[in-house]
Amino acid sequence: MFDSLLAGLPLFLTFQTIALVTIGVCFGLVVGALPGLGPLMGMILVLPFAIGQPPIAAIGLLTAIFVAGSCGGSVSAILLGIPGTPLAAATLFDGYPMARAGRGADAIGISISSSALGGLFGGVILIISTPMLAEFASGFTAPEYTALAITGLITVAVISEGSLTKGLLAGCFGLLIATIGTDQFSNGYRFTFGSYHMLDGFHIVAIVVGLFAIPEMVWQVMRPGLDEKVMLPPVRVGLRAIALTLGHWGNLLRSSALGAFFGAIPGASGVASSFVAYAAAKAMARPDEKYGDGAEGGVVATESANNATVGGVFVPTLALGIPGDAGAAVLLGALVILGVFPGPGLFANQPEIVGGIFLVYLFSNVLLLILGVLMTPLFVYVLRIRASTLIPVVLLFCAVGTFALQASVFDLWAMLGFGLVGILFKAARYPLAPVVIGVILGPLLENNYRRSLLISREGHWIFIDRPISAVLLAIDLILLIGVIVYGIRQARARRTAVQPAG
Amino acid sequence: MRKPAFAVTAAAGILASGAALADFPERTIENIFPWTQGAAMAASQIVAKAMGDELGESITIVSTPGAGGTKSFITAMGRPADGYTIIDGWVAPLVLQPVLGNADWTHADFKPLHAAHSVPFSVGLSADNTRWSTFEEVMAYCAEHPGELRYSTDARENLPHMVTARVLQAYNCVAQNIPYGTDGDAVKDLKAGVLDFAYVNPRAYLQEPEAFNMVLALTDSEEAAKTYGGAPNLTDLDIDIGISGLAPMGWTWWLVHPDTPDEETEILRNAMGAAMAREDVREQLRNIGFNPLSYGPDQYDAVVGPVREQLESMRNAIAWEEEQMKAQ
Repeated sequence: MFDSLLAGLPLFLTFQTIALVTIGVCFGLVVGALPGLGPLMGMILVLPFAIGQPPIAAIGLLTAIFVAGSCGGSVSAILLGIPGTPLAAATLFDGYPMARAGRGADAIGISISSSALGGLFGGVILIISTPMLAEFASGFTAPEYTALAITGLITVAVISEGSLTKGLLAGCFGLLIATIGTDQFSNGYRFTFGSYHMLDGFHIVAIVVGLFAIPEMVWQVMRPGLDEKVMLPPVRVGLRAIALTLGHWGNLLRSSALGAFFGAIPGASGVASSFVAYAAAKAMARPDEKYGDGAEGGVVATESANNATVGGVFVPTLALGIPGDAGAAVLLGALVILGVFPGPGLFANQPEIVGGIFLVYLFSNVLLLILGVLMTPLFVYVLRIRASTLIPVVLLFCAVGTFALQASVFDLWAMLGFGLVGILFKAARYPLAPVVIGVILGPLLENNYRRSLLISREGHWIFIDRPISAVLLAIDLILLIGVIVYGIRQARARRTAVQPAG
Repeated sequence: MRKPAFAVTAAAGILASGAALADFPERTIENIFPWTQGAAMAASQIVAKAMGDELGESITIVSTPGAGGTKSFITAMGRPADGYTIIDGWVAPLVLQPVLGNADWTHADFKPLHAAHSVPFSVGLSADNTRWSTFEEVMAYCAEHPGELRYSTDARENLPHMVTARVLQAYNCVAQNIPYGTDGDAVKDLKAGVLDFAYVNPRAYLQEPEAFNMVLALTDSEEAAKTYGGAPNLTDLDIDIGISGLAPMGWTWWLVHPDTPDEETEILRNAMGAAMAREDVREQLRNIGFNPLSYGPDQYDAVVGPVREQLESMRNAIAWEEEQMKAQ
């Protein structure tokens, strides 16, 4: 554990890495604060630039945006009553009443310090548990990876927002996209339509930018108040907020633990963890703490939980190569483009990369505390930017970044194409994250499944003969049964709700 | 009036082209690399860094994998022939894929710079494997148990696959090839005992030499076999598969589009020649298991031409393997 941290230190201690992490924290706080953007969008916007950097500097930039963006949403939730990201939705319950009672600066300060401390707690969990999980998985071969890919797909599809069936269908759509390109086993071309641009499928960045950024911007254009400028008083945060946060240390530890736990389960999001942590804090609160009416503990619970989730999300992403959520899927895609292949092999072959990632994660949280406190007036100022100014800038970034990937106009068309797909999905209320995770897990599933059958001398029995593969498949089966039962119950509940009205 | 105008325009054009040439290169040059990141890309980065130092402009390596490396060639040939795009001419897309009928070019369709480096292929066993200790023992078992053994050469229908299949054919060994897409995955499965033998690339071997029993270096060169700690080579085991020199090895010869102006090509050639002559560059390549090459542009046809002929003679080895496996 400490060996990898030491090995990663030289990669971390470079001007480029530290500068990009610092920029990432500032940028993350800004995109988190701006309603409609958020950490995922922030990561997507810088992704084309990041993959041109050395691995740790690139991951540092993306991680910093992930960490700071998960906190930035609370600024608008507290001051405007509009969560900048869904992650900050639960922060609204107590943060906004605090601001209305004239304690906006305290609420933002508590939010930033809880986020940073929760994130650091998540980091400790990450550093301790990831190598253990990777060590356990180091003997995994094709059958185990097949079972793992199935686990990832089921859990992600199930827990993604919206209906279960739509989540599964979106995941399957991602799997289909993943089949485009050259087949690894026969070297035959699949769905390339005679175009050499598609010999290796679509570029993951073009897919991610198209699917997420374009529909979001289209939706923002359709919202009212495109030209409205929000007037806000200046807010200054003091170090007092850290003391206020530490006063809730029990709540902080519990919520951070819940957040890290939720993060480590593929598919469970920071949104879920912040609501659960809020509910737990409320249930265990003293009667005089008025939750929902401006209780400091409410902000501590939600913000520490959603940032600790980021640390937890890194656990399956790094140890198993299974992205925990859409943000982790973007990180995973970037790592692969950078030549770093997450999974047990990473810990054995490139411990310096693992150590570097741990260090940039921890540093991001420390910087979040410092920069968050110092620069809150700037982030509050950013909230005044009109949507009519912001949207074209975001779209321009998307286009320039995607083109710059390979100086390819085809990538731009692909991005626009996936943008249209994203718009259709969003209009029909299909979740988008399972598509990206399907694209990433598709090759893992298909190639390992076919490889298992080639290795096997007894057909499909190889999946049962190997104990870990058998256990993982049993878990998959239980999950699948759970999914079906849950789906049936959901459908019945919907029918029951509709019948009285009809 | 027209004549002076034409003369002025022509003079301006000549001056402009002269000025452009004097400035070449005035921006980053891109090397279009045919594989995903891994040991081979690290080797190309060493050469690109040194060549960039000689040119005064950096050379970036752009990974453009797909279709056995041919996507990178098509991508590079679609770029302007202005010297700002270099093709990392690995033997697989340059010679092997045309031999297999997957590409319609020959080596003569490109302008060569210098040969960069080569990497010998190998056959390794896991150090934990107690069933066999030599290549001959593996082959003897394989001949008696056709279709039972599992091996990998990373990707399918790549050069290591073709050379290994040809060696197995010489021993009448029928084994199942298992393709892997990512550098290092096959070696991981070899160590886990899932594979019986595999191509262990130099980086994997140098990272953990004690994890492997290298039973064969697929080269007739003693010097190249040193990459694998002096493993027996084709000559040591008296294996004659009808190929020699660069033919059984992986290598790359950096190229440019045939329409690239001679002046720019010459600048690139001089810079690459100077980079490849530097002992520090050669040492760095050796340290990661790659052998620096010393062939210049004038030797391109003489060296690459025979490789094509020798690979033509081996193209049936993979088909033989497939037919024999189907018959099991």
